[in-house]
Amino acid sequence: MSANTTIQIREEGGTLVACVGGYLNSQLGEEVEKVVRGKLDDGVRRILINFQGTRLVNSIGISFVIGIVEKVMERDGRMAFCSLSRINCELFRVTGLEKYVRSFETEKEALDYLAGEQ
Amino acid sequence: MRLFGTMGAETSFREEDFFGREEELSALTRSALDGGRGIGSSFMLYGPPNIGKTSLLLKLARVLRNSTGVEVLPRPFPLYFSFSQILTHPLALSQHFLQEFLWQLLRFLGDEQPSAFDPAAMCDRLASLGVTGCREVLSAHERCSAEGDGLSALVNALSFPFSAAGERIYPVFLFDDFQYTAKLQAVPEGAMLSILRPYIKAGHFPMFLSGSSPGRVTAALKREGLFGTFQMVEVGGLSTADSVRLWGHLCERRRVEIPASLLPRASGRLGGIPTYQRMLVEEIFFRGAKVPDAVTLENLYAFSVTEGRLNRYWREFFENTFPDRVRRGRAIRFLKRILCDRFPLDTMEGATSLMGASEEEGEAILAALEFKGLLKTDLEQLTFPGDPVLADFLYWAFERGVLGKGTSQVAAAIVQTRLSSAAPEPGKNDDHIRRVATVKELMRKWDLREVPLLLLDFGMFREKFGGKGLLEVVIGMEREAARVRLPKVSSVSTGYRASRGGPRFDFDLVAYGFLDNDFSEENLVIWAVDAAVEKNLGARSVEHFENRCRLLALEKGLPNDRLRKWMIINETSDPAAVDLASRYGIHLSHPTQLRLFLNLFGLEELEREPEPARSSAPEAPRDTKTLEYELVLPIKADSEVVAVRVAEEVAAFSSVDADTLDRIKMAIIEACINAFEHSASESGKVRLRYLISPDKIELFVQDDGKGFRKENTPEESKKNRGWGLKLIRELVDDVEVITGPDGTVVHMMMHLGGDPANPEAVRQGEGGSASPREQ
Repeated sequence: MSANTTIQIREEGGTLVACVGGYLNSQLGEEVEKVVRGKLDDGVRRILINFQGTRLVNSIGISFVIGIVEKVMERDGRMAFCSLSRINCELFRVTGLEKYVRSFETEKEALDYLAGEQ
Repeated sequence: MRLFGTMGAETSFREEDFFGREEELSALTRSALDGGRGIGSSFMLYGPPNIGKTSLLLKLARVLRNSTGVEVLPRPFPLYFSFSQILTHPLALSQHFLQEFLWQLLRFLGDEQPSAFDPAAMCDRLASLGVTGCREVLSAHERCSAEGDGLSALVNALSFPFSAAGERIYPVFLFDDFQYTAKLQAVPEGAMLSILRPYIKAGHFPMFLSGSSPGRVTAALKREGLFGTFQMVEVGGLSTADSVRLWGHLCERRRVEIPASLLPRASGRLGGIPTYQRMLVEEIFFRGAKVPDAVTLENLYAFSVTEGRLNRYWREFFENTFPDRVRRGRAIRFLKRILCDRFPLDTMEGATSLMGASEEEGEAILAALEFKGLLKTDLEQLTFPGDPVLADFLYWAFERGVLGKGTSQVAAAIVQTRLSSAAPEPGKNDDHIRRVATVKELMRKWDLREVPLLLLDFGMFREKFGGKGLLEVVIGMEREAARVRLPKVSSVSTGYRASRGGPRFDFDLVAYGFLDNDFSEENLVIWAVDAAVEKNLGARSVEHFENRCRLLALEKGLPNDRLRKWMIINETSDPAAVDLASRYGIHLSHPTQLRLFLNLFGLEELEREPEPARSSAPEAPRDTKTLEYELVLPIKADSEVVAVRVAEEVAAFSSVDADTLDRIKMAIIEACINAFEHSASESGKVRLRYLISPDKIELFVQDDGKGFRKENTPEESKKNRGWGLKLIRELVDDVEVITGPDGTVVHMMMHLGGDPANPEAVRQGEGGSASPREQ
C-alpha cells in the first residue's frame, strides 16, 4: 500500500466513522472492508464513511464499498457517506451506490442522520 | 590479439567506432614515432568530459602498435594508464601501475597474460625477452613497499618503464585522466609531475597526458617549469563530415534509419560528440522508433535529454560530482545561467556572486566543475564548454527542479525552441539585427503577455554588448522608453537590509547590483519588485509599495534614480492606480517582464516567488496545434497513479477545468487497470498517449495483450467488479475500443471549452445497475 493511502477510524456516539484517505484502490478497499466487518461483528450497526481525504478512486475500490454496503444491510445496519467530491459523487451514482446509501456534505449532518432515526 | 585487457577504458573502446580526428592522430603518431630516435615530445590533451580524449589515446595506442614491423627496432611500446581508478593511496597506485606495466609489456612482446601477478617471475620473463634491468628496480620497489613509503614506491614504480627502454622497445606514455593525480592521499598536488620531471626534461620519451582539468594541470606544469615543454591539444567535437560518417556507421550497426539529409543537422545538434551520437542511436534502436523527418528526430532527442539516456548520463554525472543535493542544485542553476541564458561571466567573484553562495562553497563548486572539465580557468579567467546537450539537460533540470514543470512540458519546449531557431543559415548578420530590433520592439510593449523564446536568448545581446561587461536593455512605454542598465554581477533576494542589523525591507523581489561594474556605494542600484496578487491593481497596493520603497531609500540614502521600482500586475489596474504609479515613478509591468528580469539577474529566487513566474511561463500553447505526449507504464500495482500525474501536468497546458480533469483522471485509471488486469500483456507494459489540442483532449491507452473485456465475467459480477468500460463511457465524451491481434487500444476523447453534445444531459439520463440489491 502506498504511503498516502490511509484509513482512520473512531467511534462517535455508537457510530463507526471511517475516514478514507488517498487512493481508494483494491488494497485500501479491502482494508476498509476488513475494518467495517470487524466492527459489525463487535455489534456496531451504524457506519459512516468519510471521503474527505480521498483523492482518487477506482472501480475496484468502489466494489469493496459495495461489498461493505451489502454486509451492513445483511446485518440490518445503517450507513451513510460524507464529504464526497463531485467526481466521486458521480461515480457512486453511476455504480448505483447512491440509491442505497445517503451522502451528506458534512460529517456532522451524516452523524445526526444516523443517530436520529433509530 | 588484444593489446590491453585489465582496465575499463580499453575494454569498452571500439576501434571501429572511432571516426575522424585524422589530423590530431597523425601529428601525435609522428611525435610518438620520433621517440624511436630519442626525441620525445610532450603533449597535454584536454577537453570537456566524454568528448573522446580517451578514445583518441587508445586509438593512438593501436596505431603505434601497428606502425612498425617487428624488425624495426626499437618499437614504440604504448603504455596506457588511467589515473581515474579509485586508488588514492600512493602504495596502491604504485602497485597497480607496476602490474599494468608488466602485463602490458609482456603482452606487447607476444606473451599470453599470466594467470597470476608475480612480479619477480614477470621480470625474469622480460629479461629472457631481452628487456633487462627490471629485476633491480623491482627489489627497490619491494623495499619501499615493505617500509610503507608510498611516495618512494610510486617514484620507483614510475621509473620502471624508463629502465625497460632499450634497443628493443621504447615506451610511449599515454597517461589518461591525469587530473586525478591531484587526489592522491598525502601526496602534494603536482608530485606526479615532479616524479616524471627528469624524464620529461630529458626529452627522450614521448609523453601524452590527457585530462579534463587543464587549468589545474597546467598550473602544476608551470610550477614544475614544464609548461613550455608541453604542447597543448584541445579535443573538441568531430567535424560535421566525420560526425556524419559516424552516424552512418552507428545507424547501420543498429539498423536504424535516419534520412541522410538530417544527419548534418543532427551532428550539430549533438555538438559532434561521438558519445552522444552512440547514446541517441541506442535510444532510437531500443525504442524501435522510426525517424522519417526532422521533427521526429527532435522529439526523440528531447525525449532522450529529458528522460532517456542522455538525461541519465548527465544526471549520474552531476550526482557523482555533487553528492550533496543542495550543492548540486546550486551548481546546476549556476551552469544553466551560464550555458542556457548566456549570462556574461568570466571571473571567480562573478561566479560566486551569481551562485549566491559563500566564497568557500563557490570555490568548492568551481573546483569540482573544473575537475570534471566543465570549466576552464586561466589566470582567473573562466571559460565554459559550449556543449549543446549539456545546455538542454541543464534547461530540463532547471525547469523541472526549480519551476516544477513536467518533463513532457520541458521536452516540448526544447523541441519548439530548436525548431523555431533552426532556420537561420549563412548571412546571419541581417537576421541578427532584425532579431535584436524585434526583441526591442516587443519589449517596449507593455501588454506583451507571451514572452517569445527569442527574448530569452541573450546570446544576441551578449554579442552586442559583449566586452562592456554590461547588458543594456530598453524597457519602457513607446513614448517614454526608460533605459535600464543591468549590471554584470548582481544578486537577488526577497528583502534588503540597509545596514547590518538594521531593518529589513521585504519585497517580492529585490535585485541589486552596481552600475558601470564599479562596486562602490555610489553606484549601487536597487530594484524593488512587488507582484500584485489582486486581479485588478488598486491604488492602495501602489501606496503600500511606495511607502516601503520610500523607507528603504531613506534608510539607505539612495538617490532617486538608484531605486528602481517595479510592480508586476496580474491583469488590469485601476486608472487611479496607474496615475499614482506614474506619479511615484513606479513601473507597472506584466509578469513576463519579471521573468526577463529574473533571467538577467539569475534565477535563484524563483522558488520563493513562483506565482508571477509560473503564470508567465511562455510555453502554454493554447492557441497552437496539437501537442502529443507519450508514457509507458509498467504493469504494476498503482502505477496508474503515474499516468494520472502526467495527465495533471499535461492538462496544465490546456484550459481544462477541474471537473473535466477529474473525469479524465478517473477514465485513465479505469483504462489502465483494465489493461493491467485483462490484457495478459507479454511486454508487461501499457502505453499511453495524450493528445492536447485547443478544443479537445484525446487519450489512448494501449496494451499488447489479449483484449479488453467488455462484459462482466460471472466471477466479476459476484465481486461487484467489471465496470471499467461503463465508467469510462460515463466519464468521457467519446470512447472507442479497438482490439486487434497486437492488443487493444482504448481511445477516449474529451471536448474542451463548449459542450456540443451536452454530455452532462446524457449522463444524467442513465442510472446505475450494479447495486447491491439487484444482485
